[in-house]
Amino acid sequence: MKDGRLEQPLYPQECRQGRISYSGEFKVEAVFQFNDGAPIRQTFNFGHLPIMLMSKLCHLRGADPRKLIYHGEEATEMGGYFISGGLERLIRILILQKRNYPMGMVRGAFIKRGAGYTDKAVVMRCVHHDQSSVTVKLYYLQNGSARLGFWFAGREILLPVGIVLKALIDTSDREIFASLTCCYSDKRERGKGVVSTQLIGERTQIILDEVRALSLFTRTQCLVHIGKYFRSAMEGFEKDDYETVAEAVIKDYILVHLQNDNHAKFNLLIFMLQKLYALVDQTTSPDNPDALQFQEALLPGHLITVFLKDRIQDWLQKSKRLIMEEITKNKSFQLNNSLEIRKFLSKYTTSVGRAIETLIKVGRANSQSMLDLPQREGMTIQAERLNFHRYISHFRSVHRGSSFAKMRTTTVRKLLPESWGFLCPVHTPDGEPCGLLNHMTSICRISSCYNSEGAIKDFQKIKDKLLVELVRGGMIPLLPKMEHTGPPEILHVHLDGCIVGSIASAKIEEVVNYLRRLKLLAHPATPEDLEVGYVPLSLGGAYPGLYLFTSPARFVRPVKNLVSLPDGEPRIELIGPFEQAFMEIRCPDGGDGGRKKEFPATHEEIHPTAILSVVANLTPWSDHNQSPRNMYQCQMAKQTMGFCGQALKYRTDVKAFHLQTPQSPIVRTATYKKYHMDEFPSGTNAIVAVLSYTGYDMEDAMILNKSAVDRGMFRGDIFQTECIDLSAKRTENVPEIFAKSPLSRDTNNVIDSDGLPRVGETVVPYEQYYSIYNTLTGAIRPVRLKGTEPAVIDYVALNGTNSKGSLQKVNIRLRRKRNPIIGDKFSSRHGQKGVCSQLWPDIDMPFSANTGMRPDLIINPHAFPSRMTIAMLIESIAAKAGSAHGKFIDATPFASSVKEDGENRCKYDSIVDELGPMLASYGFNHHGTEVLYSGLFGTELQFEIFIGPVYYQRLRHMVSDKFQVRTTGRIDQVTKQPIGGRKHGGGIRFGEMERDALLAHGASYLLHDRLHTCSDYHVADVCSLCGSLLSATVINSDTQKKSKRHMLGLNTVRPAKNFACQACQTNKGMETVAMPYVFRYLAAELAAMNIKLDLRLSNRREAPPSNESC
Amino acid sequence: MDPQQPEPVSYLCGDCGAENTLKTGDVIQCRECGYRILYKKRTRRIVQYEAR
Repeated sequence: MKDGRLEQPLYPQECRQGRISYSGEFKVEAVFQFNDGAPIRQTFNFGHLPIMLMSKLCHLRGADPRKLIYHGEEATEMGGYFISGGLERLIRILILQKRNYPMGMVRGAFIKRGAGYTDKAVVMRCVHHDQSSVTVKLYYLQNGSARLGFWFAGREILLPVGIVLKALIDTSDREIFASLTCCYSDKRERGKGVVSTQLIGERTQIILDEVRALSLFTRTQCLVHIGKYFRSAMEGFEKDDYETVAEAVIKDYILVHLQNDNHAKFNLLIFMLQKLYALVDQTTSPDNPDALQFQEALLPGHLITVFLKDRIQDWLQKSKRLIMEEITKNKSFQLNNSLEIRKFLSKYTTSVGRAIETLIKVGRANSQSMLDLPQREGMTIQAERLNFHRYISHFRSVHRGSSFAKMRTTTVRKLLPESWGFLCPVHTPDGEPCGLLNHMTSICRISSCYNSEGAIKDFQKIKDKLLVELVRGGMIPLLPKMEHTGPPEILHVHLDGCIVGSIASAKIEEVVNYLRRLKLLAHPATPEDLEVGYVPLSLGGAYPGLYLFTSPARFVRPVKNLVSLPDGEPRIELIGPFEQAFMEIRCPDGGDGGRKKEFPATHEEIHPTAILSVVANLTPWSDHNQSPRNMYQCQMAKQTMGFCGQALKYRTDVKAFHLQTPQSPIVRTATYKKYHMDEFPSGTNAIVAVLSYTGYDMEDAMILNKSAVDRGMFRGDIFQTECIDLSAKRTENVPEIFAKSPLSRDTNNVIDSDGLPRVGETVVPYEQYYSIYNTLTGAIRPVRLKGTEPAVIDYVALNGTNSKGSLQKVNIRLRRKRNPIIGDKFSSRHGQKGVCSQLWPDIDMPFSANTGMRPDLIINPHAFPSRMTIAMLIESIAAKAGSAHGKFIDATPFASSVKEDGENRCKYDSIVDELGPMLASYGFNHHGTEVLYSGLFGTELQFEIFIGPVYYQRLRHMVSDKFQVRTTGRIDQVTKQPIGGRKHGGGIRFGEMERDALLAHGASYLLHDRLHTCSDYHVADVCSLCGSLLSATVINSDTQKKSKRHMLGLNTVRPAKNFACQACQTNKGMETVAMPYVFRYLAAELAAMNIKLDLRLSNRREAPPSNESC
Repeated sequence: MDPQQPEPVSYLCGDCGAENTLKTGDVIQCRECGYRILYKKRTRRIVQYEAR
């Protein structure tokens, strides 16, 4: 995309600054041909396509840090997101069902498909090469037959499986019978790996009888039967014969991943039936759809591809309709007139680009069909740069789908062993999205269409080579038709959902080992992320077979392969969650893991911390903490005020937090260095004393040393950028520009002569800081600062947008000082959060007997016993030793288990034994305690106090953003009660439970004060004769009387009875009654519904004179 | 001074860093390189901060 200057590229930073989208022109070359005429190539403008940062089309592709900084980016910018309207948005990774794998499922909802349906089905999400998918379900019927279901034009079509089998290829009943029943042999007893029972013969009979009952015998008859059903609904096939329609249906909807290979589709369908019957007969177990083993990820590129395909189809259909209309209207219209055709084709083109832009901007995929996606909304999220933890977590997060959030059951949220090593067990939010929003582990990757060299994988070539290797290994390649025996004699070999052959079960382990060896040797037949899913024979377990996957969008992670190769190369293998379930992977922390000698471990984890996400990996010694504390820390690390980026100067985030004096932690994990966290520090090494000192540290409150704060500890700022675009919000086409009133000579004002604030000046609340000039009326409208705290004008940037270039769009960045005050939130790295309760003077803080040091921070010892965050205590000791020694301490969890087999064998049983002598050598107590003197009395404290440096984070929750106070202020227009909401200066509701508390105390005066006097106190005039609240009217002479009394110098308090009842036509019964105003409103509302509210002003118990009962 | 003519304000170009002096109604564009994002210069007036 270009900016105003010719041939000058527009860089992402300029898009952020100008609040526009980073996109490129989207041009499509279309080829159309009229009958046998020459094909005409024409380029259509499809609008704009958002460009992902650092993608192939991005201007920053391959830029070195120097260039990145020049263009106002982070030196470590990673890209992977889009800029839409100046905001950074990324496409959320969603969990989908694993592609091209037939899954046996048991689900109650299947029964509702119709009469005779059961809860069992084999479900396969078939993915086409262009990443669009059609899910095919094979339902089991109570009578033993099966139905093939798929979604077509907004509803589920259910076809008898026999018809589909016969329609696929020219076959005979005998052949179908033989293929289906081949896996059963009556010689076999029920044993290990036997999946078929004798019932399969009868069921096959039923399937075939069903087809015969419809008097369909040949393939043509079946195709015609299907074609009849679909012809009216298939767009573009209205004039074709039934067979062509049926073949198109088979190609586009039934097992789409196999495209035109009907023999492969037939074989797969036979396999699916066998698996379905095995599931029904309980010879195999159902596959768990919630387990990662049967899941994959929805990648941004795939989502856009699928959506784009759908939109282009929509464009073609719309254009076709236009041309058809034109033909009927205009008889002289010539279809071979390419200019005319172009006119109609280019009518809807920009809607395609716009749809993609809304997908990024709003996260909504608008489409008639569901696109086989789990959800339509919430596809994108904003990448907040609050700090690096939060930022990177967005890119590593994996969501289960918004539909699961509403589910009442918790099964989908459970942590399953299948996700070991792929999804972090620690890093998931607590509360509503718990277990649905997971994060990938730090080593987990997702396979893509690119290989490790960055070249696009040729899947066909890989398949051909892999088949050669499989045959070399001992696979019997599949003849067009599958007529073999089944498990346990042989196992079928699936390659990306296509049955390619079979291997004798005695030889299979050899073949698997052979494939793994090829993978280690980087053989061209085996891509590095090849998944060798060998499901062994078992008794009632998963359906056995060898399932190979080369497809993109799978989770993969590296592990060590223990096979010894001759050259002794590094033996790292990428494995997937499907194969992992059947592999023997040893973890250094877990010993032999209860394995027997017959099943030795074939693989080993690289490091035990491989199961943790990036953020969870940064918690020091997390293996010494109670696990929920580590979860809390993952939450809080993402809320920490720190360095949001080095390029803060150029950032235009709506809200950016910044810590002025961050430090590098003394105690850190190996991950800290790996991810260069020093570029984005997020805390301070504070000297923490654990003692109950003033009482101000009760209940997780903490005392900060006032002098430490004055020296700069935890000082921070909030940067708020306002983008004011006068061209966007103008009304009635009146151009507005920024200008100062020419009459104003006030030089003390913050507003400069260009109508914008002066950079560096402080603005106080309600002060004018910029002014807008209406060019038509000449009116000047100054704008005042909102909020309750003063702000400093940090920068003012002018954006020239249009060619006229008048001053209409500016970015004003305000800086608000946020020094720690009482009520601000802090936390250590161990889920130990607390609120500052006092800024205690330094001279009154306790001081150490040896060093004279005063703590920066005091926390209460009660924070430890129930929470068991031992790592925080270790961190304190380690940081003390480290700072005395002058080096950083490694706090990688599970480090001791890895060290043991290395050469530098761990000499100590525990970390404390290692650190204690170090402390002692510097004259400290072995256990990190020190003798402290009271700062107030100068006396020695009775006990030694645990004191040492702990890395503390300042969290973004600050009282300045939260405090809410009100005496009087705005009231609601209707009820005259105070309004709610901090933004509008409202109050906090004194609700029913609070009322009950006061009632229980008998504090009636206070109750009356809160709920009446301070709320909607109202004195109403009520007619005691008719009991009406609404019939009071003012007597006309009232105002005259009042002014007369005023002139006479009499008191102007309201004279009694200047009201009269409209209904009774007298003022005799008028009384004033104090009541809440809403009561009067209630009376009015009831009156509107023709219900009279009758007030009885005396203590009479009987009904009023009117005999209407109320 | 004519009250109708506000004094011009100087800005810095976001690309080449050249100083631009613009009056009301001028095109927002750097005179040197044609870049369209300009930053306002820091005020020359005395700014007092609270040193607490």
